[in-house]
Amino acid sequence: MSALLELVCPAGTPASLHGAVENGADAVYLGFRDETNARNFPGLNFSRPELEDGLLFAHDRGCQVFLAVNTFPEAGNPGPWHKAIDDAAALGVDCVILADIGLLNYAATHHPDLRRHLSVQASASNPDSINFYVDAFGVKRVVLPRVLSIPEIADLNKQIAVETEVFVFGGLCVMAEGRCQLSSYATGQSPNINGVCSPASHVRYEEDAGNMVSKLGDFTINAFGEGEPAGYPTLCKGRFVTAGKASYLFEEPTSLNAASMLPELAKAGVTALKIEGRQRGRAYVSQVVAAFRRAADAVEAGEAVPELGLENITEGQAKTSGAFNKSWR
Amino acid sequence: MFSSTMIPPFSPVLLGGLAARGLSPKILQPALRHAMKTIFQRHPDLFERLGHMGAPVYLIDPIDLPLAFVLYADVHNPDIEAVRSAEGVNACATIRGPLLSLLRLLEGRIDGDALFFSRELVIEGDTEAVLALRNTVDGVEVDVMEEILTAFSANLPRPLSAPMSAPVRLVARLGQGLFARAADDLSILHSALTAPLQRRVDAQAAQLDALKGEPARAPSKPRAKANQRTVREGREGAQV
Repeated sequence: MSALLELVCPAGTPASLHGAVENGADAVYLGFRDETNARNFPGLNFSRPELEDGLLFAHDRGCQVFLAVNTFPEAGNPGPWHKAIDDAAALGVDCVILADIGLLNYAATHHPDLRRHLSVQASASNPDSINFYVDAFGVKRVVLPRVLSIPEIADLNKQIAVETEVFVFGGLCVMAEGRCQLSSYATGQSPNINGVCSPASHVRYEEDAGNMVSKLGDFTINAFGEGEPAGYPTLCKGRFVTAGKASYLFEEPTSLNAASMLPELAKAGVTALKIEGRQRGRAYVSQVVAAFRRAADAVEAGEAVPELGLENITEGQAKTSGAFNKSWR
Repeated sequence: MFSSTMIPPFSPVLLGGLAARGLSPKILQPALRHAMKTIFQRHPDLFERLGHMGAPVYLIDPIDLPLAFVLYADVHNPDIEAVRSAEGVNACATIRGPLLSLLRLLEGRIDGDALFFSRELVIEGDTEAVLALRNTVDGVEVDVMEEILTAFSANLPRPLSAPMSAPVRLVARLGQGLFARAADDLSILHSALTAPLQRRVDAQAAQLDALKGEPARAPSKPRAKANQRTVREGREGAQV
């Protein structure tokens, strides 16, 4: 981890892992093909043999592999989650990314040498909370929730003795990570336990008078007019009619892009930059990783961050700096 | 298929499709089946990620061709069939878009979500099945041109397969280059032909925006009265 800003990149398939590693990832994060991780989508993720191959491929090229076991175990059924941590240790992953305090305790007790990172799903955003995870479970890094401005991150880093990792690109949640119940309310399945937000099994797309209508369970999420850029069919990105006017009540379909803020994030004491998108294809992974490699290298060399040209692959074909710059205050 | 409500891009594929409109999709069938067999031999785990879904059937619909493809995504015995229409096809989902976009998606050279966000790709039916297929295909590093060339070389008589491999690849690369140039040329031609229309549409859009802003600035009462009068007159007219 000699880089000034470590680049932590997503991989939903072995092909994406190859794309991330070949385009300059310092670390790749991924999950097993089950409910133990928060991207439990059909056809996605790694079998144990695929992870074994992926580890060889990445380590041979100096890239680390992090395993996300970042959902909360189902009551009375911790087996799959414990097995995921056991297998991670046996296969030699470089760290596990955990959210649940029971799993953190399990990993710290049974595999003390296995490095532990705190998932964004734990939603730890203040020094007391973070220091508790560090003291109790030996957490080495915290992935910060996407609710903090850059000055707040700088202030936080002065009060904790642990590395911080922040999201710099990709999809955004409604800032209630690990606690959001919208998907569960609409479909009975949530990212927190089932590992899937707005499961595809409950999503339908229909044509209606030239509009593309997206539905989640019994809810109409959005109606996109002819040629209008579309977004994910999640309740938080829904466009609803209130007082006779259709608008985005929670947030607009848009992607985080904090590339221009990398120098400030480095100054704020951030260790690692996370790119969201394990559910995206290898073309996305390769393109975004290559772009942020250029950006991180530029920051390291003291140069200006170049234009990355990623607009065409963002949700809603729009970008935001999210909470890093709280312009609404 | 041309019958789709989506408007196909003006491209060499569209022109080729129009030219081949009279041909039966059955002509393609042996080559298609052979290509699928070859890809499956090179990637025996092609549809392994779909195992939990049984053997889903998809309709792949290139909007710039006069035909569509039925994909039988059986883990052990996959197959593909060219059809003239979707009638009688019992597919769990349909994936619709320009042929080149679908091919780029197959090769993992373009992101499926990005295509979807830009509305270049339309899906209907079982969304879970589509997502599973997208992830499956994306996870297998398929190079369509390489698969075709390998299949072609393998089918040549043994003494010819090795020496012919390099020239065939050279011709294929030249062909790709010519195709890309033709696509660019057609795109320029398309822009030139539609430029006057586009200017008019832009002007109308600007006028519409200006008109949208007008009611807020104009006094509301007289306008409301005027509108009411117009509506009433219209109704009375209709009654007469």
